[in-house]
Amino acid sequence: MRLLYLIKKEFLELFRQKELMPLIFIAPIIQVILLGYVVTTDVENIPVTIIDLAQNQSSSHIVRRICSTPLFNVKNIYNEPQNTLEILKKGDSKSIIIFRDSKKTKKFPEIQILMDGVNSNTSAIAAGYFNGIIKKYLVENLEKNGMEMPVEANTLIRFNPELESINFMGPGIVALMLTVLALFFTSVSIVREKEQQTMDTILISRLTPLEIYIGKALPFGVVGIINMLYGLALVILWFNIPIKGNLAYMFLASIIFLTALLSYALLISTLSATIQQALFFSWFSMMVFILLSGLFTPVANIPVGLKFLADINPVRYLIEIIREIFLKGNGIEYFYKDLLSLATISLVVLSISLLTFRRFISK
Amino acid sequence: MDSVIEVKNLCRKFGKFTAVNNINFNIKKGEILGFLGPNGAGKTTTIKMITGLLKISSGNVFIKGMDAVKERKKVKTITGYMSQKFSLYPTLTGLENITFFGGISGLSKAEILRKIEEIKTEIPESNLKMKIGDMPPGIKQQIALFVCLLNDPELIFLDEPTSGVDPENRRKFWEEIYRLKVRGKTLLVSTHNLDEAEYADRIIIIHKGDIILQGEPEYLKNSHNVKNIELLFKEAIENYDKT
Repeated sequence: MRLLYLIKKEFLELFRQKELMPLIFIAPIIQVILLGYVVTTDVENIPVTIIDLAQNQSSSHIVRRICSTPLFNVKNIYNEPQNTLEILKKGDSKSIIIFRDSKKTKKFPEIQILMDGVNSNTSAIAAGYFNGIIKKYLVENLEKNGMEMPVEANTLIRFNPELESINFMGPGIVALMLTVLALFFTSVSIVREKEQQTMDTILISRLTPLEIYIGKALPFGVVGIINMLYGLALVILWFNIPIKGNLAYMFLASIIFLTALLSYALLISTLSATIQQALFFSWFSMMVFILLSGLFTPVANIPVGLKFLADINPVRYLIEIIREIFLKGNGIEYFYKDLLSLATISLVVLSISLLTFRRFISK
Repeated sequence: MDSVIEVKNLCRKFGKFTAVNNINFNIKKGEILGFLGPNGAGKTTTIKMITGLLKISSGNVFIKGMDAVKERKKVKTITGYMSQKFSLYPTLTGLENITFFGGISGLSKAEILRKIEEIKTEIPESNLKMKIGDMPPGIKQQIALFVCLLNDPELIFLDEPTSGVDPENRRKFWEEIYRLKVRGKTLLVSTHNLDEAEYADRIIIIHKGDIILQGEPEYLKNSHNVKNIELLFKEAIENYDKT
């Protein structure tokens, strides 16, 4: 009963801060939409310059194909040699495709692709697209002459056949939303009581330390879950990413994740002397959590020396689990190891946080 | 009269700094003890140790014969504490603050409602419906004291309860403190408003963690041949600093 009064007070305090309401209810919408559209690894409209010195049937055919695909935006087509380095330096074109004249070079018509490698990811993907177009032309040409490719690899992409990056990012963004709000709101909850000097009155009341701890964590857990539902609805309805797996597993993983995150946030709040300190710690933690989560770059790419940080990062496991459920439709038998890792992290962080809180109140 | 609070060799260190240095005093039932001292003298630290809010480095506190550390739960049920700055939630209304503190003090819904009716006789309802952050200090102080008394404590600790309050409200506040004394409550009131010390049955002057003077205000003034507590306080501090 005493706990209910504390929970009610936390909600009242939260919702009385009118300036925070847009942050809770509108910012997540903006966050999902922006991240969904902006943080994309899809490659489209790559500015291309074509230098067709060959001007033969093959080059004309390939040029037509390049012009017709939305992947490339053909800026210029030249029939004379150009200073290719200067073109790339100016940045108007990120790639140049050169068709060399076989009669002049006495060689088989050579096709050369020059890429601006500043954005390595885009360059690699675009080079792959070029090679695909050229390969397709060659295959068709061979077939016309009654021949076929001696060996051909056939790629079949499962779970995200269109390779849409939003399908990969969307479920991860839901985990991100859960992290950001729960971390920031919870991390100021105890330190605010310290600054207001209301903590002493709470400690002298009949509330037990455990009740205070739960009363501080629970409301922000609820706000986090509401935000997650919000994010889920947006990802499913706005971006048309269907959820293939069982939503119940996602909630189970989210609750275990929230236990870790809220415990961590309360640890920050207990150790901080001011709200400013708590917010700085939260911001720093959030950056580390996100960078090592696999949301933007694969966890496998993280250097071995830093890998242990990713291994103890709860956000990483939640993102992996959500993606498995969302895109693969996997059941718990496929991600139980991630779930166990998440549960272990939660238990450890909860224990440390509770012990620290107990030590703080009996300092 | 029996001592309800006994402080024995109480000491609190923060690293190498000694905030409270081996102090001893008693408070008798129904007594108002004025706890005086400049900022940083150790007043709040002492109160926090007695109420169990701060760990004791060494020494003992006995409340009605109970060890305040070992029997903290029991001690909590008979003590009321009002900290500096009134310790109320600024975004909540007066009524919401009372309901919350009543709830966490273990009062039933009916008891909380009865308490609310009680305070409405002292503070107009329109004021009680204001957010604490928008209230004048006098009303905030009244509500803070009311909150401190919600579970009808026998021992009341008031840490600088009149700071930032105008003289008229300070006078009213001390009238309320006297009413509590008449009801048999024991009070420890810390203050740096030296004129208020005259209202106390007994005063303790604490400076740099040491008790430098204690006794009844009238007796101390006569024995030191000074007109008021302010001069007494000044003399005591100067003597201490010289030695």
